[in-house]
This record gives sequence, C-alpha cells and structure tokens, in this order.
Amino acid sequence: MNADTILAADRLSLWYGDTRALEEITMEVPDRRVTALIGPSGCGKSTLIRCFNRMNDILPGCRIEGRVTFHGQNVYDNGSDPVTLRRRIGMVFQKPNPFPKSIYENVAYGPRVHGVRDRKELDRIVERSLRRAALWDEVKDRLSHSAMSLSGGQQQRLCIARTLAVEPEVILMDEPCSALDPIATAKVEALIGELKEQYCVVIVTHNMQQAGRVSDYTGFMYLGRLIEFGETTQIFESPANELTENYITGRFG
Amino acid sequence: MATERDGKVHRQRTGELVIRGILLLCAASAVIAIFFILAFLLRDAYPIFQTVGIADFFLGPVWNPTSYPVEKFGIVPLVAGTLCVTAGAMAIAVPLGIACAICIAHLAPPAVRDIVKPAIELLAGIPSVVYGFFGLIVLSDWIRVTFGIPSGESWLAGSIILGIMALPTIISVSEDALTCVPREFAEGSLALGATRWQTISGVIVPGALPGISAAVILGMGRAIGETMAVLMVTGNAAIVPSPLWNVLSPVRTLTGTLGIEMGEVATGSMHYHALFGVAVVLLVITLIVNAVATLIIGQIREKYGRSKGSCAGVTGQERKPLFPPEIRERIGTVILVGALSCIGLPLAGVAGYFACAILLSLLLLSWNRVSPRSAEKVAFFFLFAATAAVLLVLAIILGDIVINGLPALSLGFLTEPPRDLGRSGGIFPAIVGTLYLVAGAIAFALPLGIGAAIYLSEYTTEGRVTKIVRAGTDLLNGTPSIVFGLFGFAFLVLFLNFGISLIAGQITLGLMILPTVIRTTEEALKSVPVSLREGSLALGATPWQTVSRIVVPPAVPGIITGAILSIGRAAGETAPILFTAAVFSQRFLPSSPFSPVMALPYHLYILATNVPGAEANKYGTALVLLMLVILFYALAIGIRTHYRRNSHW
Repeated sequence: MNADTILAADRLSLWYGDTRALEEITMEVPDRRVTALIGPSGCGKSTLIRCFNRMNDILPGCRIEGRVTFHGQNVYDNGSDPVTLRRRIGMVFQKPNPFPKSIYENVAYGPRVHGVRDRKELDRIVERSLRRAALWDEVKDRLSHSAMSLSGGQQQRLCIARTLAVEPEVILMDEPCSALDPIATAKVEALIGELKEQYCVVIVTHNMQQAGRVSDYTGFMYLGRLIEFGETTQIFESPANELTENYITGRFG
Repeated sequence: MATERDGKVHRQRTGELVIRGILLLCAASAVIAIFFILAFLLRDAYPIFQTVGIADFFLGPVWNPTSYPVEKFGIVPLVAGTLCVTAGAMAIAVPLGIACAICIAHLAPPAVRDIVKPAIELLAGIPSVVYGFFGLIVLSDWIRVTFGIPSGESWLAGSIILGIMALPTIISVSEDALTCVPREFAEGSLALGATRWQTISGVIVPGALPGISAAVILGMGRAIGETMAVLMVTGNAAIVPSPLWNVLSPVRTLTGTLGIEMGEVATGSMHYHALFGVAVVLLVITLIVNAVATLIIGQIREKYGRSKGSCAGVTGQERKPLFPPEIRERIGTVILVGALSCIGLPLAGVAGYFACAILLSLLLLSWNRVSPRSAEKVAFFFLFAATAAVLLVLAIILGDIVINGLPALSLGFLTEPPRDLGRSGGIFPAIVGTLYLVAGAIAFALPLGIGAAIYLSEYTTEGRVTKIVRAGTDLLNGTPSIVFGLFGFAFLVLFLNFGISLIAGQITLGLMILPTVIRTTEEALKSVPVSLREGSLALGATPWQTVSRIVVPPAVPGIITGAILSIGRAAGETAPILFTAAVFSQRFLPSSPFSPVMALPYHLYILATNVPGAEANKYGTALVLLMLVILFYALAIGIRTHYRRNSHW
C-alpha cells in the first residue's frame, strides 16, 4: 500500500438479493487528490462509493464480501461503527437533498448532532463552511430562509457546505452535477479543485469531460468490475484496456 | 482525547440500542394486544364448549338463555341473523357503491367530485349509534307505515342502515382501484371508436375488478362487525326468518346479542360463557373476511404495486379473468339493475319497485339492440342517479338530526347535568365524559402507535418481524368494536379489577384506535423522501438523530391528522365502552380514573331505546355528538389539505 493511500477496496463484491452488483473490486484511493469513477449507467460506480461510507447498509437485501479499509482498518469489521465512519467520510448526493429547514440549520445540523451547542462556535462553523463551498456571499443575508428557496446549484453547494461542516477527511460525490445547469456545474467543479487541497475527493460521474477536467486519478468501471485504474492523463491518452478505449472514444456508453 | 471520543461513541451506541428496544416493544404491542384478546375470549368461552358441546352450540336451533329448566345456547338463529342482514346490506351497498365509485372516478366533473368525496368521508364519520338512532326513529317508522306491520324494526331496516354504513368503504376502495387502471388502456379503447361507457364497462371496470372485490369484502367485514346500529333497528328476536325471504321479520345478529345481553348477565354463569363463545365465533368470521380482503389486495400489490405505488386493482396482460367473458359483459348491466332497485325502493315504495324491475327487465332484453350511444346515455343516467341517491341519503340523515336537534340546543343543555332520566336538563357530564375518554384513549394509543410506526418504517427492512407486526395490526383493525368491549370487560374490568371505570374505557378505546394510529403514522413517515435520511446519515448522524430531527418533523402534520381522525372515531364509539366505562346517569364528573363516566354515544343509546318521552333531548344529544365528531374530522381534513398544499417536495 502506498504511504498516502487513505481509502482502499480489497476484493470487494456486493450483491443486491441474487444480483451481483460489484465483482472483486480492488483499488487504492490517494489522499488530497481527486479520484473519478467513470463508466456507463448501471456499471456499479455509485454502488462502489456507497460502500466506502457504508450507505448500502440501509438498503434491504444487500450483502458484502471482501474488505474496505480506511486508514488501514476494515470498515466492515464487527467492531466498526458506521456512524463514526460517516462522520469522517462525508457524502454529496446526485440530487441536492437539503433538509426542509433554514440555510443556517442545514449547515449547523451536522455539528449539532456531534455535540456542538455553543451558538458562537456554530456561527463560526456555518460561515466557514459556506465560504469554503463558495456560497457565503450569495446567502449571507438570508441564512434564516428555507433552504428550499435556493436554486438547484445553490442547493448542491449547500449540501457540500453541510458536508464540510463536520470536517470529514474524505468527501464522496455521487454525480454531484447531473441535476445542475452548466454554470452551476462550473462552480461546483471549481470548488472540487479547491477542496483537494485539504480533502480526499472521490467523484462518480458519467461525464467524461468532467472526469478529465477535475480528477487526478480515474477508474473505469464496466458491469460491476473495475476495468482500469490509473492517473487520469494515462487513462484518457493511452488506456491499456480496449474496453476503456472504446468507452473513452465514445464507441459505446 | 481518544478515550473521551471512545466513551462518547460507546454511550451513543448504548442509547441507540435502548431506543431500538423501546420501539420494538411498541411495535410488538399490537401483536401482544391481539394475543391477549384471543386468549381472554377463549379462556372465558371454553366452559360453554365443554358443557354444551361444540355441536350443540354451533347447530342448536334455539337461543334462549333464560328458558327453564334448561337454558338453550344454539347460535343458528344468531348466525342466520348476521348472514341475512349482511347479505341484504350488500345487495344495497354493492351496486350503489360501485356505481358511485365509477361516477366519481371517471364521469363526474371536478366540481361534483369535490362535493361527493367529502360527503362520503362525512358518511363514514357519522357514529354508528347515530345511524342506529336515525334507523330507529325514522327508518323503522317508515317501514312500519309503508308495509303496514306492527313494528318496523326488522331485517330490512337493519340491511338498509348497514348498507349505508358499508357504502363509504366500498366507494373509496373501489374508486382507488378504478383510478389506478392505466390511462393507456382507456385511451386504447377510445381510439378504437368505443364509447366512454363501452370503455368503462369493457376495459376499466374489468381491470379494476380485483380491487373492487376487495372493496366489497371489506365492506362486508364492516357490516358483520357492526353492533349499535344493528341492535337498535333489527328488533332482536332470535329467530330464523320464516319464510326465509321474509325481509320484514325481526332478526338478531351475533353482535346484537352481545350488545344486549352482556350488560345484564351474571359473571361466571353459563350464559356469560356462552356470550364469549358468540364473541369467538364473531371474531373468527370477521378475521376470515378481512384476511381474504387483505390477501387479495396484497396479491394485487405484489403483482402490479411496485411500479404503480399503492394502486390496488391494476390490470395486466397476464391476469386470468375472474369471470368468463359472457358474464363480464353483463357486469355493467348487473350493476345497473341493482342501482335502480335501490333508488326505486325508497322513492316509490313496493309498487314502484316492481314497476322499475319490470321496466328494467324489458330494457335488459332489448339491450343488445340499443345503439351504443343510447346505451351510454341510459348507463350514465343511472350512474349519476346512484351518486345522487348516496348524497340524498346523507342529506336526509343530517337534515333530520339538525332540524330536530337544533331546538333542543341551549346553553343550559350543554352545561347542566341531566334531570328526570335525561328527559330534561342537559348533557354536560356526558360531553365531559366523552372528552375524558378520548383524551385517555389517544394518550394511550399515540405513543405506542408512533413508536410502532417508527420501528416499522425506519428500523427494519421488510421481513419476518414486519410481517408479524403488520398481521397483528391488521387483525386488530378487523376486530369488531363489541369484541374490544368484551375483552375490556373480561381483562380490565374483572381480571385487573379496575371495575367499570374511566381508565378501562380509555384503554379499550385506545386499543381499538391503535391500528389506525400505526397506519397513518407509517404513511406520514414514508412520505418523507429517502434522500433526506441518506443526507443525515451521511453526515454521521445516528439512526435516532436522523429519525427525531429529520424524518419526524415533516411528518408531524400527517401524524396529527391521523390522531385526530382516531379521536373522532373513538368519540363516536359505543360498543367498547358499553360494559367497560359508561353509566347512564351521574350527577358529578368522574373524580378518579377508577370511577365510571357518562358518555355521549351511550347517553344517546339509552335515551333512544329505554327512555320514552325524551324526544327533544334525544335529538339534541345526537346533534351534539354528530357535531363533535364532524368537528374532529373537519379539523383533520383541514390540517391535511393545508400541509399538502405547503409541502416542499
């Protein structure tokens, strides 16, 4: 294992009932880099990142084999607590899912459930998180308004701010721009570029240009298997696998 | 630092486990309750089977608990009474209900629908003792005069009242099934040049048939389990009608027997045990009927439900037809015959009824020769007529009670205790007693029900545990209210030695509304999007933090709506408090949970059946009870529409 590997999958397989959604995935995710997962719809990329923070636990009929390690510890060990894990590995979802509360309460929710009660401390966390998510200037005068009044792009950045507020080490992003228009997408992509200064970012996308623009490493998945994984420039310029090449050049997918 | 965090994680986990355990206990409460009900009924029924023998109990032709020297406990006349009254009620409610459902689902313009749908909810909300009161005072009198018989309390009266009471169930479940038939089917038929009536009778109704049959069976279950209304209008002679089709004969149902005799029986006597035997029979019949309906709906859901949400009765290509095509073609006309029969009966009396029947037979004979357009006109006329008839029934009942009840209302009537056996004075203690009863019932049912619903919807995936809990809830839901009354009497009043008391009534009513609270709360929780739960869990919130801070707050209006609906139902119920809590006359308000109370429905029941000459106060009490119940329902519906409009997703 590389010294800067923070998250890794080791022969990871997953079944939904009788259907096998992931097949023996082995990969290492480096810290303070952006890792992109690409591949056609239904190839298992979302399923894979949901394994990293154990979000698949809440789905009925889901069964897992193999290991996922975070700082070298298997997150599926009996003694491992999914709640603690999810505090350290944050997630941004495909569709913006702000809580039906005020903008302030959305960001403060995470710190609150982790025991922060001091109002000044909360104010500070909210401002810092919104600033880091590049949303502060747009919402600073209406923090008490409902989060539902924001536009789709703002909602998604609010969800990113919400994730940053609990200070995770890893941020998982499940197609974070698929519900956004091009301008909002550009803002989120710029944000991802800044986030990697401090965080490990794993992003699932079906948009290859996006993967090319934002990521340092790219994994190509197909039918539940990780076909190829490497530096983004290598995957895009000289893919080793024919399937990858066909996908990259737009022959299918 | 590390140990401090470990300690926190440990505490958090223990807390989660404790909460999970408490919720599981809540979820188990419905199962425990149904188990206790069965156990106590069987325990008290056992001696009768032992002494009289199973064969003599089930096949004995005479029910006479006071005959000398040997009491006779044969339930044949009681079962016959229940079957007769239910069959009659279905003959009225099925055609009328289905016609009305078709009308609401596919014909009526939105303006009409907006009147009919609340009207039907109102019909469902009228307490059964008010139906019984109306049946006793108005309907049976009408029957007595029309047919020239000494007493109008009869099979026919019981069937008409029960038919009206089964209507809301049949209409609303059928309407769901009808609106769920995919639009494309109807469009396909219309595109072939079929008329709307041909499309409705040939495509939509057959497609919704499984759902409609479930509706009919559920309506039947409601009719079989009904107590107060039936016992007030059927005359209660424990005889098999002779000849068998004599609808004017008095009859006595299983439920009626329990309602009349349970209050006067000596505890521990053979008669007492015989009544519990009757309760077991009643419970088994209703449970079977409800299980069949649940099974049908479950099958439909399993087959088509996944893609169609909660639709019951959606058709599919692979469905085997329930009836051969010849019969299926006739379904529309059969509905018409029935609908017309029902309208004809009250409008024109016997002569008109036969005239209608003859007219209709002629029509049927020439049906195939009528052009589709004329056929459509005739069919639509009857469908709208059936809907109008349902509205008319509601208007008559409400009108009668409001017009005769208003003069009795005064400040004194609402604030004074009754005098002269309720003939004069007011009903203040009864109003307060009813409020105490429902407050206690909801205080008992709400925490249990919400806990159970949270466990079902948030803490488990569908599996064995949820199946058992759901089965328990369904069973509890299908248990007739009089059986709750008997259980409350055997368990709370006698076994726990509470006596006839406020608290016994509160717990009995609470058990009765528990399934409704569970179901409505679960629906409210399920309507909160999964993405919000994921968002919270992904931030490292525990399951309980997620439930209490993210899932429950937006579901609160739905939960409150369900609670208020349950309160409305509990306020109007008579049978569960008949032997557990209610007394007819009490000058003072209850001083402790262990003293008996007056209650509005019970007061009305006694005034209507046992106190001659209380005309004004009877109607006044009925009106106050009706207004109280309607107030609760209006409140619930108001909250529901308000929040539905302001919902964010």
